[in-house]
Amino acid sequence: MSDDAILIGFGAATVRVATPLLLAALGETVSERGGVLNLGIEGAMLGGALGAAVGAAQGSAVVGLALAVAAGLVAALLLAAVSVWGRADQIIAGTAVTLAAVGVTGLVAQRTFGSAGAGLELATLQPVEVPLLGAIPVVGPVLFRQSLLTYLGYLLIPLTWWLLYRTRFGLELRASGEAPTSARAAGVAVRWRRTAGALLGGALAGLGGASLVLAQVGTFTEKMTAGRGFIAIAIVVLGRWHPGGVALAALLFGAATALQYLVQASGLGGVPWQLLLALPYLLALVALASAVGRARAPAGLARDDQEES
Amino acid sequence: MSARPPLLTLSHISHHFGAAPVLDDVSLAVRAGEVHALLGENGAGKTTLMRIATGAIAARDGSVAREAPVAMVHQHFTSIPAFTVAENLALAAGWPHGGPRGRDRAAELIARIGLPLDPTARVDGLSVQLRQRLEIAQALATSARVLLLDEPTAVLAPREVAELLSLVRRLAAEGAAIVLISHKLAEVLEVADTVTVLRAGRVTLHGPMAGQTAASLSEAMIGGAMPPREVTLPAPGGGEPRVRLGPPLVADAPLVLHSGDVVGIAAIEGNGQRDLLRAIAGHRALAGVEVEGTTGLVPEDRGLEGLIGGFTLTENLLLAEVRDGPAWLGWGALEERTATLLTRWDVRGGTPRSAARALSGGNQQKFILGRTLGQAPDVVVAEDPTRGLDVAATAEVHARLRTAAAEGACVVVHASDLDEVRSLATRLLVMHEGVVRELPRDTPRASVGDAMLGLPA
Repeated sequence: MSDDAILIGFGAATVRVATPLLLAALGETVSERGGVLNLGIEGAMLGGALGAAVGAAQGSAVVGLALAVAAGLVAALLLAAVSVWGRADQIIAGTAVTLAAVGVTGLVAQRTFGSAGAGLELATLQPVEVPLLGAIPVVGPVLFRQSLLTYLGYLLIPLTWWLLYRTRFGLELRASGEAPTSARAAGVAVRWRRTAGALLGGALAGLGGASLVLAQVGTFTEKMTAGRGFIAIAIVVLGRWHPGGVALAALLFGAATALQYLVQASGLGGVPWQLLLALPYLLALVALASAVGRARAPAGLARDDQEES
Repeated sequence: MSARPPLLTLSHISHHFGAAPVLDDVSLAVRAGEVHALLGENGAGKTTLMRIATGAIAARDGSVAREAPVAMVHQHFTSIPAFTVAENLALAAGWPHGGPRGRDRAAELIARIGLPLDPTARVDGLSVQLRQRLEIAQALATSARVLLLDEPTAVLAPREVAELLSLVRRLAAEGAAIVLISHKLAEVLEVADTVTVLRAGRVTLHGPMAGQTAASLSEAMIGGAMPPREVTLPAPGGGEPRVRLGPPLVADAPLVLHSGDVVGIAAIEGNGQRDLLRAIAGHRALAGVEVEGTTGLVPEDRGLEGLIGGFTLTENLLLAEVRDGPAWLGWGALEERTATLLTRWDVRGGTPRSAARALSGGNQQKFILGRTLGQAPDVVVAEDPTRGLDVAATAEVHARLRTAAAEGACVVVHASDLDEVRSLATRLLVMHEGVVRELPRDTPRASVGDAMLGLPA
């Protein structure tokens, strides 16, 4: 393989692998800006992956996407009901949602796909080349020969920014996450805003899970998200709760995962593959350790809306 | 004394936050044994100058020379409530631990500076006065010889103030250099040797305190630019009825508050006045309260309820108008509106894009008032609206509230200071254990006090 081909392969894999992370992390950005730290995001992605697989198994990617969004919404709704309205601790509630999702998706997958589950092969969303842009050397094949879900991710970067910084909803959402008491005094329905933020986050996490199935692996296996939801939370911190930063951070994590393909392709067989698989998680630790000191989370994050911060 | 070399020298300091200049060519030197008063209105740049002196922020221009460690004693307490005095001192001083040896060192330090503190006492059991002493002890524990005291008397009762000032004198006599920030001119005239006055970031007075008077200091602070503003108010009870307080809030005939009234509510903390104010402002329900027309609230706690510190002023303005307005926002027009508010209400130290926390307390309050009164509500509720403000800012807030009444609002004010309620209000209500009654405005102070305690008139 020529150097160019390796580079393009690496780049394209980076973007493809980053897509689920980008979708989930943009959603989590919205959720956290509203003050809801959604540790159930891992469960929402897993539910989204299963929903997509069930839909795709019926032969329709669109149904799959709809089911994925629905699954993500259910997971977020559970979290919002328990922690925003029931005022339970967000960390514990989110962990419970993720654990429940692991169990439920495993059960549903077994019932739906039976023992054939292991060999399940689903039609995937094929890459679509964007006219003109796709023809640009190197950049074209890397960025613009991807699945539609990746393009949705591109669009969501400015859209999320616009929602947060240019709309009244965004202002109220950020106020609910930054200073719930002030927001309430100003007449903001803090709990409803937080719920809406969490639901948006859940829907995008579901789509993230769907893109993992439909645009990447083409099958469903138990616990297949393998910590991507938690990586998305790390991405939000590294991206400083800003859609632009989150996009770059998602790419960084995508690159860390795609590195193993590059290493395989370039024949550096000496590196143990387990180490490469662990790379994104190690990167998350390093990134958080170096970023946390500088970044500032929304002041009301993971706090009850009645708590005086 | 003035022959001693300065321990802290600030030379030609200039600084700005964003586009807003905060300090302009400010110089100041403090010598060992000297108490130096730093005066100025809210937003004049005192706190920024002191933060530059400690090195917390770096000045854009000018130089800082420290001949000895510098420590700042803030208005808010930094000690950890669940720790003992000794543990807090060990923490501040960097001693290895707060065990028996730390306790001895703490006891030694406390004795040396003559503070009546028990090293083994937990901080959350201490009075406000003692907690403040502990803050000073913590600063000294770092072996600082230059102490910057930021409005140390704001939280103290008169007798405690006298004790603090004598402690300040004693520390200076032992060789410390002290910068005292205060609003209270009588105090600084009594205790300081030298004085620097800042106005809008510039030095307007610098020199020995001898020969100064409260009038000369005040003139330097506000530039004589504040004409006493007389606002003519309509006779009480002449306007539209706005608020009706019926049973169970009143014992007999209902009280009706009208537009044009400035209603002062006098009450001792915990007698239900907070609920009453919130109910009039429409933030909660309370039996017996009926309100007609729109309402606006100037909340008690600026930091917690009034403003979101990390948001821009434009965003803060917009948040208060949550219920109306378009779903998405034209920022150019909004920023212009904010700029207009800043000009009209004389809010200094910020631009529409400044974070709210960049403003001083007085300017934050002016912003909140402007935001609330700008919507011309029929009923204005103000909870302790001048808390923490200096003389000029207080007068400004009073004038604004009276103007609002003159323009037809029904203004309801509660202040923790009875004298403030009496001077501001045209009608006087007293609340005791959830029951409101009206007293004639010229009721003697002592009788009002009795009524607040529930004693028969």
